[in-house]
Amino acid sequence: MATDADRDVDGIDEDAVSWSDPLPAVLLVGAVLVAGAYATSVLDTAAAHLVAGRRLRLGELVLGPWREAALLAHMRRSTTERPDVQTWALAPALLAGMAAVAVATVPLAPGVAVADVADGIVLFGAAMALVMVGVYLHGWSSNSVFPLVGGYRFVALALSYEMPLALVLIAAALPAESLSVGAIVESQQGLWNVVRQPLGLPLFLVAGMGLASWGPLGMSDGTDLAGGTSAESSGGARLVWALARRFVLVAVAVTGAAVFLGGWHGPVLAGGLWMALKTLVLLAVLVGVGHRVARIRLERFVVVAWAVLIPLALIDVFVSGALVL
Amino acid sequence: MSRPELAGVAMWILGGSSVVAAWRVFRTDSMVRAAYWLLASFVAVGMVMVLLQARFLGLVLVLMMAGEMTIMAAFMVMFMMNPAGLNPMSMVHQHTTAKVAGVVAFAGLAFVGVAADFPDRPVDAASEPTAELGEELLGDSMLIFETAGVTLLATMIGAIAIAGKRGRFGNAQEGSAPPPVDPDAPAGPDARPSPMHGGHGGMHH
Amino acid sequence: MELQLLLVVSAALFGIGVYGALSQQTFVMIMMGIELMLNGAMLAAVALWAMSGAGAPKGQLLTVIVMTVMAVEAALGFALVIGIFRTRQADMTEMLEQLKG
Repeated sequence: MATDADRDVDGIDEDAVSWSDPLPAVLLVGAVLVAGAYATSVLDTAAAHLVAGRRLRLGELVLGPWREAALLAHMRRSTTERPDVQTWALAPALLAGMAAVAVATVPLAPGVAVADVADGIVLFGAAMALVMVGVYLHGWSSNSVFPLVGGYRFVALALSYEMPLALVLIAAALPAESLSVGAIVESQQGLWNVVRQPLGLPLFLVAGMGLASWGPLGMSDGTDLAGGTSAESSGGARLVWALARRFVLVAVAVTGAAVFLGGWHGPVLAGGLWMALKTLVLLAVLVGVGHRVARIRLERFVVVAWAVLIPLALIDVFVSGALVL
Repeated sequence: MSRPELAGVAMWILGGSSVVAAWRVFRTDSMVRAAYWLLASFVAVGMVMVLLQARFLGLVLVLMMAGEMTIMAAFMVMFMMNPAGLNPMSMVHQHTTAKVAGVVAFAGLAFVGVAADFPDRPVDAASEPTAELGEELLGDSMLIFETAGVTLLATMIGAIAIAGKRGRFGNAQEGSAPPPVDPDAPAGPDARPSPMHGGHGGMHH
Repeated sequence: MELQLLLVVSAALFGIGVYGALSQQTFVMIMMGIELMLNGAMLAAVALWAMSGAGAPKGQLLTVIVMTVMAVEAALGFALVIGIFRTRQADMTEMLEQLKG
């Protein structure tokens, strides 16, 4: 995808690492996703303890995710009657791949972007639309009731959050007069989009929570559905799916930090550190909400999304457009 | 390999896979697979469009089709009650005519494509097609934008009026009932879903 | 050379679409055939725009129109299928041999 759409953001010298080369690109994106997924799990445990008023033990916090992963990896895999094996395996790969595409378009520090393409925000939208395909396939391919219901729920959810998501991203692109994520970050020098467009970030986070099917919008894999799309997967398959879902959450947080929280802009600290900090804050918000807010019924959310969130997102676009003029 | 060479190879591969995926649409016995093979074909064409500099249009095509094909898959499962393609599915008619028509259409169009002498005027690599598209769409007259917008609005109203049980007034779910299992029985509030119905495909509200 | 390749690919997509639209019995599968035809048309339009039309800004508008047609086709197609299913419980062409309601 990164043909000649790459642009050197601000003329880095030729000797520096070129992040669009294959090996550094894969390592960078992989490191961001894995570190983010680990942070998500740690934050999740911490939030659960805090909400329950239990004492936090550092060892459990730091090692817990690894223990859980090791346990799942050793567990025996179960299967169902006549599943669609190929698409079952494809689904987590699709989610992880699309999360990687989204992270690749975001500049993580000044000049450090794998593919800051000219239409980065549209690429993010397309990648996130394919996430819906991945979740539906994961639910459908096990040929079992609860996963299929989970898949359907996610489709209904996704069709509802997609419009507000696209609209707030368009609004964020307006002051930058460009669809590239790098240009959007640069346009926030001095004034972050979270201040300039106060409606943008909350709507983006609602949509992002739906995208990762997390917390109050955890429709596809909810416990009320016996695990939803992952009801029939166990062992390694379940581990891979849990990872892939966290990757999507990380991609949402990274993009949100770049598009609404000013990306690598910030005083004193280096740009990369600011980016990591902001991503962690958004991850903490996304994960924390899941422990404070109950799951919403899908029908209600669909009505709210179409009748409230889309008009709010339209106001966001109109106001942002008027401010640019 | 240089960038343009890589792009050329990618274009061959993507073009080929779009045709293979398109062929698989009508050669698979699962509805969901058929829908997603079609999506694969669209994604391959979308990426070819990105390689051809029509970046915005290519990405929007992928974005649009991901949603549309998922809806298609959901509809197929709802209507056919064949969620995982366990029943072999071959529902074709006038097969010979269709084959002949398809081959004739391909041969005719391919002949024009190969035989015609198109001028060699490639797109300028330095141009910004997305910005130009925006200027064209929302520039002086906005003719295409307005026409497309009004057409889509009319389509939305028409589609809701046709599909909604109560037209475009009231809640779409109000008074809705699952179709009866017996095809001759009238659909109505008394029609109860059978256990088979409630199991796999029926997403009743 | 690449232009010819892409035009042959688009002709193949169109041909497969014609075959599908004429041979399938299920409404949704017929719609898939139609979408494939539009897919081929769009590819041909973009290929000619990029390689023979010198990237003239107006060329991309043709693709926008094809996309609008796709959206209209899908929305109305689904609406008709739902409407027919509501009244006749039919999802195949042969079930509608009589057009009386």
